[in-house]
Parts: sequence; C-alpha cells; structure tokens
Amino acid sequence: MLSLKTITFNQKKTSSISLEFDELIPDEIYNWEKEDFDKYMVPIGNSRFPLTDYFDIEIEGSAENAGEVKMILNGDYGRVKYIGTKMGAGEIIVNGDADLHAGSQMTGGSLLVNGNAESYAGREMEGGSLTIMGNTREFCGCSYIGDWRGMNGGTITIHGNAGKQLGECLSGGTIIVKGDCDILAGIHMTKGFIQIDGDVTRWPGGQMKNGDILINGELGRLLEGFTQEDIVTNPEIEGKTFSGKYIKYVGDIALNGKGRLWLEAEKNRHLLY
Amino acid sequence: MEYILKNGIVYDPANKVAGEKKDVMFRDGKIVEMVADDAKVIDVTDKIVMPAGIDPHAHVAGPKLVVGRLYRPEDSRKGITNKTAVTRSESGFSIPSCPATGYRYSRMGYGTVVEAAVPPLEAKHTHEEINAIPNIDITPLALFGNNWFVLQYAKQGKIEELAAFVSAWLKLVKCYGVKIVNPCGSEAWGWGMNVHGLDDPAPYWDVTGREVVTALAKANEMLGMPHSIHVHPNDLGHPGNYPTTVETMEAIKGIEKNSPIRDQTMHLTHAQFHAYGGTSWRDAESGADPIIDYVNKNDHITIDVGQVTLDETTTMTADAPMEFDLHQLSGLKWANKDIELETAAGIVPVIYSGKAPVNSLQWAIGLELFLKVNDPWKVCLTTDHPNAGPFIRYPRIISWLMSNERRQEMMDNREVHPWSHKRTSLATLDREYDFNEIATITRAAPAKIYGFQDRGALTPGYNADIAVFDLNPNDIDPSRNPAAIEKAFGSAMYTIKDGEILVKDGEVVKIKQSHTLWTNVKGMEEEEKAVMKQVMPDFTRYYTVKFENYKVFDKFVPNPTVSEVQAGK
Repeated sequence: MLSLKTITFNQKKTSSISLEFDELIPDEIYNWEKEDFDKYMVPIGNSRFPLTDYFDIEIEGSAENAGEVKMILNGDYGRVKYIGTKMGAGEIIVNGDADLHAGSQMTGGSLLVNGNAESYAGREMEGGSLTIMGNTREFCGCSYIGDWRGMNGGTITIHGNAGKQLGECLSGGTIIVKGDCDILAGIHMTKGFIQIDGDVTRWPGGQMKNGDILINGELGRLLEGFTQEDIVTNPEIEGKTFSGKYIKYVGDIALNGKGRLWLEAEKNRHLLY
Repeated sequence: MEYILKNGIVYDPANKVAGEKKDVMFRDGKIVEMVADDAKVIDVTDKIVMPAGIDPHAHVAGPKLVVGRLYRPEDSRKGITNKTAVTRSESGFSIPSCPATGYRYSRMGYGTVVEAAVPPLEAKHTHEEINAIPNIDITPLALFGNNWFVLQYAKQGKIEELAAFVSAWLKLVKCYGVKIVNPCGSEAWGWGMNVHGLDDPAPYWDVTGREVVTALAKANEMLGMPHSIHVHPNDLGHPGNYPTTVETMEAIKGIEKNSPIRDQTMHLTHAQFHAYGGTSWRDAESGADPIIDYVNKNDHITIDVGQVTLDETTTMTADAPMEFDLHQLSGLKWANKDIELETAAGIVPVIYSGKAPVNSLQWAIGLELFLKVNDPWKVCLTTDHPNAGPFIRYPRIISWLMSNERRQEMMDNREVHPWSHKRTSLATLDREYDFNEIATITRAAPAKIYGFQDRGALTPGYNADIAVFDLNPNDIDPSRNPAAIEKAFGSAMYTIKDGEILVKDGEVVKIKQSHTLWTNVKGMEEEEKAVMKQVMPDFTRYYTVKFENYKVFDKFVPNPTVSEVQAGK
C-alpha cells in the first residue's frame, strides 16, 4: 500500500480510565492538520479531554483519502480502546499492546498490533486484516454481546495465543491462531474458517452449523455433537491445501449442523474411535 | 401565558376543519377561542397545524420491554445520541430507552401513546417505567383475556360479576381499558400448548376464546368504559388466519354500545397480522379483503393496522405461543415469560426484509388495509411498535400512504419482493391519502376510539396538544415528494403539549412529566366488594405475591389523568 501521509502518535502519559480511539481512524482524519489534532477532545469515560494532553502528534506528507494514511501509535495502548474500530482503509500500526475492541467492525485496511490485544479484537469484522503479534484474550472475531452475527469477512492473524470463544458466531472470513486456543472456538459459527496451529483445550465448534475449523495441535476434549467421518490426507480447505493426515468430524448434530472440524491425526489419536 | 399560532393551515378532522388557514390559540394549557392582544405570537404562516398525534397501540413500557432490552443489547447500540442541555442520552432502535421513547414521539408531534399490554401483576413496574418516559401521556391497557378469574366468570356466564371484577382490577392496577390477547391461547401456553380458532377451549378450563371475548365485551359495555374491548385475536401471524379474525369481529356484533363518544364495541388491533390467506407460508396470500369488507360494512369495529416497516426489529407480545412459533420459524433467539394466573409473553428479534417474500407480503397487506377502508375514522396508523417496526417509521408510512408513485416504485424497483403485488391487490390501488385523512388516522380517529374528551382535536377547552409541521400543503405534491413528507412528519416544527413548547425545529427543547390515563368506574362499589370476597381465596392460594403487595399504590402514578365513568351509563 502506498502511504503518502504518516501520522505518528507519541504517548506522553497514560490514563487509568481507557481512552477511546474509534473516531481516530484514517477514514476520519486523513485530511486533519496539526491544529485539528490540537483541538480534538478524546473521549475518556463519560468526559472528553484534549488529545494533546496524552500524545505528541507528528504529521508527515499529505493524503487525499483514507487509503493513503499510515498511523503509527507509539507507547502503551493497553488503556486505549477501539483502535481501528470501523476502519475502512489505510494502515494502523500499534507499537505496543491494545485495549478492548481493537479492529472491531473493520471493513478494510490493515491494523497491526505489535503486542497483545485485549478481548473483542476484530469483533464483527467485515473486511481488512488484523494482525496481533502477541496474545489476545476472549471473544476475538466474535459477535457483540447478545447478537448472533459475528465476523463475516477479512482476516485475523494471531501470532500468540487466543482466549475463549474465538470466532463466536463467525459467518465469514478467516482467523488464524499460531499459538494455543482456549475453549469454544467457533461456537455458533455458520461459515468461515478458523485455523489453530497450537493446542486447544476443549469444545471447539459447539452448535456450529457450517464452516471449517482446523486444529494442528492437540485437542483436549471434543464435544459429543461431532461425528467422526473420515481420515483425509492433504485436505483442501478454503482453497488452501494442508499437508498431512487429518481426522474429519462433522457437527454439531445438536443443530443438524454440517460444520467440519479437522484434527491433525497424529496429535489427536486419543480422539479416534 | 397566552399564545396564538398565527396563520397556520389547520387540519382538525374532529371539528371538520380540513386545510383552512386560521389561528389556533391557547392559554394555561388549554385551547381557547380568544386571547388578549398581547398574547405571544408564534408565526406558523402556511405551515401544517394539527392536534398532537395519538398512538392507539404500542409497547413502550413494561416487563417485555425490560426483557427485550436485556437480551437485545445489539439493539441498544443503535440510535445512540449524546445528551444535550435538555435531554438525556438516547439509545436503542426498536426498543429505545425510556427517555428516548418520549423524545422521539415528541419530535414526531405526538402527545399521547397507548401502552397496549400491561400484565396486572407487573403493573407497578410498568407505571414506574411510564414515569421514566417524558413528554407523552400514556394510556395503559390491562390484560384480561387469559386471567384465571376472567376465564372462570366467562365460563359461568356471570357477566355482572365479571364487570365488577374488571372495575375493581382497573382501580387496583390503574389502567385505562381492557386488552385481550389470544384469548385462552396464552393460558394454554402454560401447558406448552396454544388454541387455534375462536372455539378451541383453553386446556383444563373448558372455556373458549369466543366466550371470553363476548363476556368481556358485555362487561365492558355494562361498565360504560370510554374504550371498547381492545382485541388481539387468536392465530396471529398464521397463514389462513383471516376467518378467525372475521369470526372474532362477528362474535360480538349484537352487543349494544354504551358510550357517548366511540362507535365501536371492539377495536381489533394490528389487523395486518390477522389478515392472511393460504394454508402455509408457501401459498400464503392476502386476506385483507374479507377483513376490510367486514370493517366497511359494520360500525361496531375499528382497527389499527400494525404496518410492517421493513426493518430489523423486536417482536414482543403476550401471545407467547406465537412467539415460540416465530422462534422455530426464524431460528433467532427467544425469550419467554410467564405471568402467573394472568398471561405470558415471548420476545424474538425479526428482520423484516424487502427481499423476503413473506415480509413483502406483510408490508403489502398492511397498505391494502389502509387503502381499502372506506371511512378513515375506522382505521389508525400503528406499527404495533416494535412488532412490525419501530414507531419512528410513522412518517415513512405516511409517505407511502400519500404517494402511489412511491409504492409503485418500490414494487417496480424490487425494493420489495414480487409477492407484494402477485399475492395482493396493492399494485391496483391508486388511492392516496390527503393531509386531512392523515390527521384522521393519527389524531382524530384514535381519540374517538378511546373516548378521549380532552385531546385529539383543537376544540376550545381541550388540552393544548398541538403539532406544527414545516410543510405548505398548497405548495407540495405529496405524491411526488414522499421524502419531503417523511422528513417533515419526522421532525415537527413545533410540538406543544399542555400549552408548553416541547419541540422546536425538530429538537426537544423542554422536558415534561407524562400523565398516566386510567379509568375509575363508579357505581359498582358493592359489587366490587362482593367480587373481591369471591376471588380472595383463590388469589391467596395461587398467587405467589400477597394481595397487599399487588396493588398499584398512588405513589406509582404521581401524575394521573383519571377518566371517571358511571357504571351503566
């Protein structure tokens, strides 16, 4: 991507109450100048405070649209929520941790977190790419509380571990976890693909109706709603071939589901019957 | 303080004023004929002036709303606005927060809303919620159609005792009138069942919906209630349900009206949901004709429509078995609630889409009902909020009613599925409502149907509840400008309530405590005492609350407007 304008946030101080950054996305600020940042009041709790109390802003170049913007966030963003929320284009790089809802409802562009991301990363994502170099906690790529519509497009890549209910209500898009994953990955999913390269504690795919979950590590416990269908060599899933043997399960039969759960055969011999 | 709304173009159907340029004056919260020379002048030259709107059927307060908000947080994320110097923050789309409900009605020029289903056991909570809704007066209707005592009296044919029971219970729960929902069906739901048709008895009770509806209609007229019975018939939302609806209307035909204001003895609510032909959703078709023919030929019936607005919304009704069916059909999440001895409730989200054949059919059937009624005094504008769509869509519905061009465009452009014209007669209907008819179905007719004698008209002595819209009816062709109609009716230039300006240029500028309207029947005191003596043993035995905790104390209704009626007159 060609970035013509770089906006760098250098943190001056942190807040015990989280700042909210959903208004600070390339789509909104691509044509902002320094004075626009100087007068911007950032939401913190139920009030707003000057953004420049917390950050020094450096601007280089100019942009005619959001796609030409790169935002670089330097410092500790562990108390900054909604980074990249509803972002449609451009690039955001967080050189540190990110608080809740990073990349939620993204429709395009890319968000890179060079640290850990709190819960709800990539919630209801519709497009674009979210990359987390560290770990993320619960509900990554999920639906919002109470809703039945989760992530339906784009790609989330987690280089560390993921928490509970990864990809809950997933209805499209791809989630790749390089590390381990906690319980109920892909619960209620209807479409899309989840790939977990590490170990999974329990119950992936609960009440799933369709879509694919592939686990390259060891699964602790499988739900009773899955039926072992076959052992497949080099399966092709979502246009990608996975080398090796995989046990293919189908479920969740509790919902007459046709979802597919692929377990690396050697590491999951204990689940064969 | 005296005011004069100067040079507006007034639509006041109750006073047979249809688009006349004249002044409207008010003093101390009431419409008056004359004001002093130094009265404050509000220039509304060539703007539309109407009485404030009256919504005759909506669900805006009560336990269903609370459950709906709790289990649909995704709905609360919509419609969020910041607080202003006057208003609190708002949230919610189909189930807005209490303040948002008041503000949004007020912005549309409404002044009174009927909360159409109060379970008596939950009346205290409902009144608390009503008190949290500003700027609109609220008229709660109490649910009686599945009440155990009502079933018993109806079964035994004890109409006088039933009338005394209704009278006593309305005093206890501070409600305005009698609501019947799926008579016997919600009781059957306690056993995981439903009733189908008017003559299917409630399990273990051996009493039918027909007996319950006719008994309550007789009791209602015996009391001389300002409003008739308000009926949600059996079989809501089921293909082929229109015969049940016609039978329900016919069941009470011979019962004599006992009210000086209204004409009807039954108000049939959300008629659209009860006007389906066919045998399943595969062959479903419009059943609007037999319904509207019956309404056109009979004066004892009025209806509101329950127009589908093609939005994602939340259905909530005391017709709990229907909600279970809906949940089974859509697969979406479902909440269920039982109100012991009285009723039940269910809640399911629904996405009404113009792409969906069934939803498009429902949309067209609602419009057929509006467009085929001969006398607009017999029909009211509702969406059964939030069941067929949120009330904030009323301006859009008005634009559909006023513009055949827009309706045809929606069908031609496939904004709605072809079932809308292949399985209904909508495409053949070129009727367009005028402003006077809009004022009738949103103001005058609801007021008459509810027997209101203080609102719904610009009559001297009535409450100064007035709406002004930024439209010059002599300059605009609604048929060709539906967007302008929707915009103007969605954002009142002025909303005046009890003589106070609450909305100016679409913004809420003042907050006002709501009034609660309830009916106090006099002349049945001895009969009520006798009935209370009769019901107390069963009350004590079956309710899990004590009678002392059941009653709605006066503090729950701090701002009442009591309709006093003398039983039998």
